[in-house]
Amino acid sequence: MISRSGILLCGGRSSRMGRPKAWLPWGNHPMVAHVVEILGSCVDEVVVVASESLDLPPLDARVVRDREPDLGPLAGIAVGLGACRGTRAFVTATDAPFLTPRFIEAMFERCGPGGAAAPSTRGIVQPLAAVYPARGAARAQRLVREGRRRPLELLKALDFRAVPLDELPDPDALRGFNTPAEYLEAVAEAFGPATATLELLGRARRQFGQPALEVPVGSLASVLGCVAPDLAVCEGGRVHPAYLVSLGGRDFVRDARIPIGPGERVVVFDASVGG
Amino acid sequence: MPRWAASTVRGFHGAYLRVDLDRGECERRPLPAETLRRYLGGVGLGSYLLYREAPPGVDPLAPEAPLVFAFSPLVGTSLTTSAKFAVVAKSPLTGFLCDALSSSHFAIEGKRMGVDALVFVGRCAVPSEWIAGELRPSANWGRSAAQTEAALRPEGWVAAIGVAGENGVRYATISNEGRHAGRGGLGAVMGAKRLKAVVVRGDRNTTVARPERVTALARALAKRAAGPATAKYRELGTAGNLLAFDRVAALPTRNFRGDRFAAAEALSAEELAPRHGRSRASCASCAIGCEHRYALNGEAPIRVEYENVFALGPLLEIGDPAAVLRASQRCDELGLDTISAGGTLAFAMECVERGLLDKGPRFGDAEAVLYYLEETAHRRGLGDRLAEGSRRLAQQLGSGALAFAAQVKGLELPGYEPRALQTMALGFAVGTRGADHNRSGAYELDFSERVDRLHGSRAAAALAIEPEDRAALLDSLILCKFLRGALEDLYADAAELLQAVTGWDVSADELRAVARRVVALRKAFNIQEGWTPEDDTLPARFLDEALPAGPVEGTRLPRARLRAMIDAYYEARGWCPDGRLPDAVREDLGLDPDTGEMG
Repeated sequence: MISRSGILLCGGRSSRMGRPKAWLPWGNHPMVAHVVEILGSCVDEVVVVASESLDLPPLDARVVRDREPDLGPLAGIAVGLGACRGTRAFVTATDAPFLTPRFIEAMFERCGPGGAAAPSTRGIVQPLAAVYPARGAARAQRLVREGRRRPLELLKALDFRAVPLDELPDPDALRGFNTPAEYLEAVAEAFGPATATLELLGRARRQFGQPALEVPVGSLASVLGCVAPDLAVCEGGRVHPAYLVSLGGRDFVRDARIPIGPGERVVVFDASVGG
Repeated sequence: MPRWAASTVRGFHGAYLRVDLDRGECERRPLPAETLRRYLGGVGLGSYLLYREAPPGVDPLAPEAPLVFAFSPLVGTSLTTSAKFAVVAKSPLTGFLCDALSSSHFAIEGKRMGVDALVFVGRCAVPSEWIAGELRPSANWGRSAAQTEAALRPEGWVAAIGVAGENGVRYATISNEGRHAGRGGLGAVMGAKRLKAVVVRGDRNTTVARPERVTALARALAKRAAGPATAKYRELGTAGNLLAFDRVAALPTRNFRGDRFAAAEALSAEELAPRHGRSRASCASCAIGCEHRYALNGEAPIRVEYENVFALGPLLEIGDPAAVLRASQRCDELGLDTISAGGTLAFAMECVERGLLDKGPRFGDAEAVLYYLEETAHRRGLGDRLAEGSRRLAQQLGSGALAFAAQVKGLELPGYEPRALQTMALGFAVGTRGADHNRSGAYELDFSERVDRLHGSRAAAALAIEPEDRAALLDSLILCKFLRGALEDLYADAAELLQAVTGWDVSADELRAVARRVVALRKAFNIQEGWTPEDDTLPARFLDEALPAGPVEGTRLPRARLRAMIDAYYEARGWCPDGRLPDAVREDLGLDPDTGEMG
């Protein structure tokens, strides 16, 4: 019998971050895997809600696809609650690396009569670190159909209990990030000085004379700047058209403002690949 | 050889030579200016001539099957990379149209024979060589193409087949000057005609409309060809792809069961160059010089291309550079297409693993690779079945083997993992030649921000037409595809070149239409030869199995997604929903609405 579920929402566009938050490194894992691990330690099942187009790393979780990711987090919660098997679910976003099992436990313990609870800081409710009853799925779907987008409306409809943050352990659990600077700051606090690997292939390797180097984490521009002026891979905040840059062999990126996290592998090679 | 009056079309001779090998006779047939303007040269003209000359449904290895060597309007000019020619025939491997390019002096001298193409039909009574219009019994039958070329070189420039072509291996090549018209078994077509070699020699140059303009354009093009856009080819050659493909999980290994290779670094151009005495070579009239050769232990240098290394290395799980280079060299000597040879061996290796073959090569066994290449070229033992290619071998074996024979329309896949490069997957599926990276080029999109390479889409499918059309034009002009990055606007640049050479008032838009026409003509030929919509697909492995552990672990190419992409491709091309050609396209090709014959 499953009682507690964890729902992780991966639907955001990460537009200010410039790359999917789910894949941002945290420790030795992509962010999504790290948060799944935290959830998994204190719930009976983990459900990850992601858009159709977002690839995910292997996860110890059930992945359900949100076919209308542009409808916002309430639609994602509706999908997650509809898919989960527990009677109640703790809902979180991807950018929650400081979440702790103690915090999640405390939230489950403080649910109101409707089975819902959300932390509150100076009167501001945090609906993406909250507990919802699974039976709230139908209400969530109805709200979405009515054009509502804010999860707070669902919480109110479920007669939730607002829990002051100072009553909860590990208040840092609510800390998230939306920009490269916020992410890199969090990385620095959590891990201290960290490095990524910059690998050079083809002509870039021949010109620089070295296959790879360890570089401090930072923006992609700062990482690529480690081989300047010998190699001008970055130009005007973008990757130079003569080069392709891959993150971990997966995504090709051009925007040099994006953050590069600990342990990440940045591969540089000729744009004229193929043929 | 008869003499004849000069052509009225600048850059062309306005005729082709039809060589009847049964009778040993040559007939010069006119090529109207309108036809030349509609199809240019190379694969365009070659496809036109094949369509005109091939009896519908002809057996590719029958005497009546034509073998076309097509030159082009730019050959013989000072334009860099223009010394190329196309060989076109119905492929014995696919049963559909096959065009393959080769290059260098044979192209220049062939055109100097005073024709825009050579079309061989019939079959020699005994193994023979065609030497500038004269048919002679061959003293080189049983020898390699290179040996034959050396023997016949005093007579002119030579294109020859190796033992594989003589023995009808369905992926045998035609070779000249160390280059190869490699794919689709054109060497087997030549071998079936008992034609060991074609030797060209001539003294008839075409004139150009505006010589000074051509010279100026040639200078500018050569400068661009020596610039950064082609630097990869100069400094590393195509083998520079290997490590990049490995890092982005697009390097097929173990018969397309893996996408990265542990020994990739050892096989990479980056590592080979400093260790194995690299030297470079280039085709005639080329400012790029993409050919990289490596000497093992001081031996004669061996040509290295990405596809050779991929097909005889990672695909077979062989990581020893010496073993891979030796296998590549042996393919060249025997006259085997390295991609199909490696692809067929990889398939056989998996069949051995699965118990579908009692004996045969095993993954990682470099000695076995050399042994079975030899057996294949001579059609001995299992080699006789390997010589048929992976599709026919799979059909013989049954037991679901077709699911993991990595081929499309019978042509083995080159080294581009289609699940990791899903726009390229579409290119493979719809390619008229089969699984082909030289006619589609959709990988260019996958290596860009314009598409999501791991999630093929209808939008990406529509974009895939761009590189396919560009390739059709480049292959008809002919200019080397390695120039593509150096051309700011291919159609405008090509129009300028053709204006200067031919004097035509040709525009960029007209050349766009030519490119589309060439693509449609190849499709029309395939339809005539029995193409059905079911031929435009990928083997089940790519549609049912996810990619293994690695950067793109779990990536899939679902059938519905590929289907949607194919539909979008047909739609964007303006073809019928089932991929056939609508009347308007057929009319543009000049096809009779009732008989399908070309008017």
